[in-house]
Amino acid sequence: MNTAELKTILSDIIKENITDDAWVWLKAEIDKSNSFGINTAFGIMPRKTGKTVIKISSSQQELLNSVRPGFTVDSWTADKLCRVWLLIEYKEADKDKYFKILETLFSVAEMNEQVALYSALPLLPYPELWVKRCAEGIRSNIGTVLEAIMYNNPYPAENLNEAAWNQMILKAFFTEKQIEKIYGLDDRANEELARILIDYAKERYAAGREVNAMLWYLVKKFVSEEQLNNMKLGDYRFNKI
Amino acid sequence: MCCSHNIEDRNVPSEQPSDAFDIGTIKGMKFFDPHVHMTSRTTDDYQAMADAGIVALIEPSFWLGQPRTGVDSFKDYYSSLVGWERFRSSQFGIKHYCTIGLNSREANNEALAEQVMEMLPLFMYKDGVVGIGEIGFDDQTAAEEKYYRLQLELAKEAGLPVQIHTPHRDKKRGTQRSMDIAIEHGLNPNMVIVDHNNEETVKEVLDRGFWTAFTIYPFTKMGNQRMVEITKQYGAERIMVNSAADWGISDPLAVPKTAALMKLNGISDADIELVTYRNAITAFAQSGQINEADFITAIDQSTKFEGNSILRGGQQPRINKSSIIIS
Repeated sequence: MNTAELKTILSDIIKENITDDAWVWLKAEIDKSNSFGINTAFGIMPRKTGKTVIKISSSQQELLNSVRPGFTVDSWTADKLCRVWLLIEYKEADKDKYFKILETLFSVAEMNEQVALYSALPLLPYPELWVKRCAEGIRSNIGTVLEAIMYNNPYPAENLNEAAWNQMILKAFFTEKQIEKIYGLDDRANEELARILIDYAKERYAAGREVNAMLWYLVKKFVSEEQLNNMKLGDYRFNKI
Repeated sequence: MCCSHNIEDRNVPSEQPSDAFDIGTIKGMKFFDPHVHMTSRTTDDYQAMADAGIVALIEPSFWLGQPRTGVDSFKDYYSSLVGWERFRSSQFGIKHYCTIGLNSREANNEALAEQVMEMLPLFMYKDGVVGIGEIGFDDQTAAEEKYYRLQLELAKEAGLPVQIHTPHRDKKRGTQRSMDIAIEHGLNPNMVIVDHNNEETVKEVLDRGFWTAFTIYPFTKMGNQRMVEITKQYGAERIMVNSAADWGISDPLAVPKTAALMKLNGISDADIELVTYRNAITAFAQSGQINEADFITAIDQSTKFEGNSILRGGQQPRINKSSIIIS
């Protein structure tokens, strides 16, 4: 990821989507980069930037996608984008201090702030620092928070270990999310996940509930075509996994 | 209070008018409950509130029934008010706001209170925080006064309204002191909502220009028949009702029920709207944090469903409560 290029694209998009006054304020907050001030700045962001959905050109979208595949700001609101930008522009050279500042923000975050924080994961420095936090977010029951981690977010595929990744996929099925919006499904498909998903499908079948068709997509690599077709019909006897 | 009883009662000719709550009385009306502790309530309550026309509410920070012993318990509580509870409410199409503050009871643990005061600025600027509250007096101790004053200063600094809890014991004097101190700190009465009023306090609170809130809460606070009389006597200006429903025997439908009783007693629709909806919004919207367009009413839920991120986050499906079958 070319961070400098990414920051330029995002700042261009931001400038086009907020007032000059809000832009001046945001720049000043970043210049100050005050560890207490960031809490307030992060919190009051919607008051400064508004909450309208940003406009982004198709060329900007393409550029963003080439710099950070799997990531998009499409249909984000202005406050969300500016919050994310504040996090990545915040000037703190010390890794531990930066970590603490973000952990504080996470620990006191309201609903939309949580969404912004988790959406920022693929852009943050020190990706290894946020693995536990990401797994924690997957334990959330707030729909929008889960979507922030699951949809158009390359961080989980790139950083979660197999167990945490599998947990996220399973949770996505449980909470009826749009599985196809999860980045890295093919790369991270694994046999253990297929086994868990088959078990889950079996359970659904026994309960007389339907199975999301995307489940078979993640399973098919690890079973024969015959097994797959049998399972779709409710016959799990030949399942070898 | 069950609806089926209600139907039966109406079928049986009776000399006595039924006192069952007929939700039809207030059909189509919208309500705003500016004081209700949803943390202590169930999903059944949320559904009943939505069905009765409550479109938005305010959950003030309060005492959880037993004292907290560490600052992190406060932090998690405030976080839940702007996080989990806000989400839970949204699932029922009710817009959830809150007020943040150190309640009077726990202000008496001074060592802890100091730590809580340091933390409040982390929360009071958050989106959807519409005031500092509920703060004020309980036992009317020196510690309560100290943290009440400090929080009035915070409210002034942040430009937020103040939601004042008035004490159960020595109420009249406690209410007077609360107002005196707010004035002493330079707060405009228009930015202060004095809560839990009764027949003894209402006149002075209104005369001094404060917002005058009444809690309709069985046994210990106001009954809604008394509330009807107060509205008849004092009108609807700067008056609002709330349920303050919590972990005690209380009623999350207190606001719509009071509206229904007012309607049956000939109070005008315009006045009912002021007391059960508009005045609370006017008072707390001074925070800049209330936008009526954000309310998702039961009536236009279907039209707003598409593209609404909150509902996309998980609108709760309805279950048939009267069925023996749970699927």
